[in-house]
Amino acid sequence: MLALDLLVNGLIFGLFYALMAVGLAMIFGVLKVVNFAHGEFYMVGAYAYVLVSLKLGVSPWIALPVAAAAGAALGWLVERTLMRPLYSGYASWSIMKDEYAVVVTFGLSLLLINLVDKIVGPYPVRGPDLIETSRFAIGPIMLNGQKLIAAGISLAILTGLAWFIKKSLWGRQIQAVAQNRLGASLAGIDATRTTSMIFAIAGLLAALSGALLAPVINPSPDVGAFPAIKSYVIVVLGGMGSIWGAMIAALFLGVFEAFFAVYVSYAYRDAFGLLLLILVLIFRPQGLFGEKGREV
Amino acid sequence: MSARRNLWANRLRSDFRAALGMLAVLACVPFFVTSPYSLGIVIVSMYFAMLAMGWNLLAGFTGQFSLAPAAFAMLGAYTTGLLNYHWQAPLALGLPAAVLGMALVGWALGRLILRLRGPYLSLTTLSFAEIARVVISNSHEFTRGDQGLNVPTLMQSRVGYYYLFLAVLAFTLVGLYLLMRSKVGRFWLAIRDDSIGAETRGIDVVRYKTLAFGLSCAICGFAGALYGTFSQLVSPELGLLLQTGLVISMVVIGGIGTLTGPLLGALLVYLSSEWLREIGGIQLIVFSALVIVFARFFRTGLWGLVTSWRSRLKTTPDVAKESS
Repeated sequence: MLALDLLVNGLIFGLFYALMAVGLAMIFGVLKVVNFAHGEFYMVGAYAYVLVSLKLGVSPWIALPVAAAAGAALGWLVERTLMRPLYSGYASWSIMKDEYAVVVTFGLSLLLINLVDKIVGPYPVRGPDLIETSRFAIGPIMLNGQKLIAAGISLAILTGLAWFIKKSLWGRQIQAVAQNRLGASLAGIDATRTTSMIFAIAGLLAALSGALLAPVINPSPDVGAFPAIKSYVIVVLGGMGSIWGAMIAALFLGVFEAFFAVYVSYAYRDAFGLLLLILVLIFRPQGLFGEKGREV
Repeated sequence: MSARRNLWANRLRSDFRAALGMLAVLACVPFFVTSPYSLGIVIVSMYFAMLAMGWNLLAGFTGQFSLAPAAFAMLGAYTTGLLNYHWQAPLALGLPAAVLGMALVGWALGRLILRLRGPYLSLTTLSFAEIARVVISNSHEFTRGDQGLNVPTLMQSRVGYYYLFLAVLAFTLVGLYLLMRSKVGRFWLAIRDDSIGAETRGIDVVRYKTLAFGLSCAICGFAGALYGTFSQLVSPELGLLLQTGLVISMVVIGGIGTLTGPLLGALLVYLSSEWLREIGGIQLIVFSALVIVFARFFRTGLWGLVTSWRSRLKTTPDVAKESS
């Protein structure tokens, strides 16, 4: 029964990972940069949820969308202020755009961590649960109620996102800009607005993931580091920039980690994920599920 | 005249002279500052200057944005520390072993991730750094984990350590200048600006990229090993990503791709961080905000601002208008 328990818990964590990693994959897909501040979007979401529900005393069900909106606003702001040079002809870094993105997002990550550390404090804060029931059993499997409801919300959001990207007009615009920026703008798509939208969506998803996990993880300012590293692994495993690859890889990583932690070693769980990242980048840069090779 | 001043070799020479000037100022500091605490702060800032120069060699001169300089320093420090802890190797053996070992690690890593660039390279080096830290802090039997290792010191005198760090810094600076002045430096710049173009002109890209990786790694490793003997404690905290963030912010604020920039940035950032800490622990907020502002608007950093301001003073007004 342990194996089944691990499988279910792994899948639940995989859903949270997917929420984070899909945004990262979308950003990579459209700008070909890695957002090293992605974990801090998650952290901001967790803090927004906790502070809004505790300080303002509103129901967690209101705090959740507020946290998501905060993440979306942050993502949009970051794109407007820092990412524009990547595609709007900014001369001085013109030959080193990737490097500019690395420096700026790394700096942003440090800035957000230290701002929160200074304003809210370095100690972990605990968020209110979404529902009262803490643990219950379905058949032989014990489940944490908070995790289960959060996983349900994640699944709903991910399904909605998949529909949005596949079917809606804006989603198709996102696909078009990711495939060929110039071609998309020739076809009349506002590529700049689409890029802003992608960052807003990525921020929203990461913040939502942080808010959903806030009652479980007790956020502190550096809480974003681990989910961020997991998202890097997932995005690389799924093929850089592939949204569907990221979703599958997230579930895979969640289950893999659950088993690895129990059967092999808990302490080296994260190191092993990172080793996987290096090996995939060196030997199979298109990712495990990638359909086409990207230039590396 | 203006054309001659813009020649790369001339720019490099004035850059080198400015860096030497800064070291000369540093050499005078112990005559005026005698408190061991203040000297210690300057020593730590010289440690960061070494890391900044090592990272700048890789990122600024060769265009490989590694996110692992702090991890290289940690590994260098552990090389010396473990040799001493397990096999009682004297420092005279442990320090060169750190340099050689890290040069090998850097060469191997550079070789392994040769074809990766941009975000892929950053992700791989970040993973390497985190793996190294996780492994060291979890192998309790071999490395004593998070408790850290005690390392013997080279000497008791603070002033002695001060001049040792200064000498090592000067040696690194002169070495880098000679390399950058030679064809190796020009090959590096060519690879940074256009690696395919460089290859078509017959530059052995593989060789020079791995050379840069090995050298940068050796510089960072030596800095870490030396710092370990100074603080007499080696712990996995040396390799935190935060430390890498500090090194990057020093280089970007000081001026990436120059000799003076990393030196200037490291001294300014670390010394003012001591001062800002007293005001209320806002040093990291200030520096990370500065990094973003500099990267976004002043890519050349402080040293670039100084040189462009200097050359504007020397040129005629209409040329100045053109360049602004």
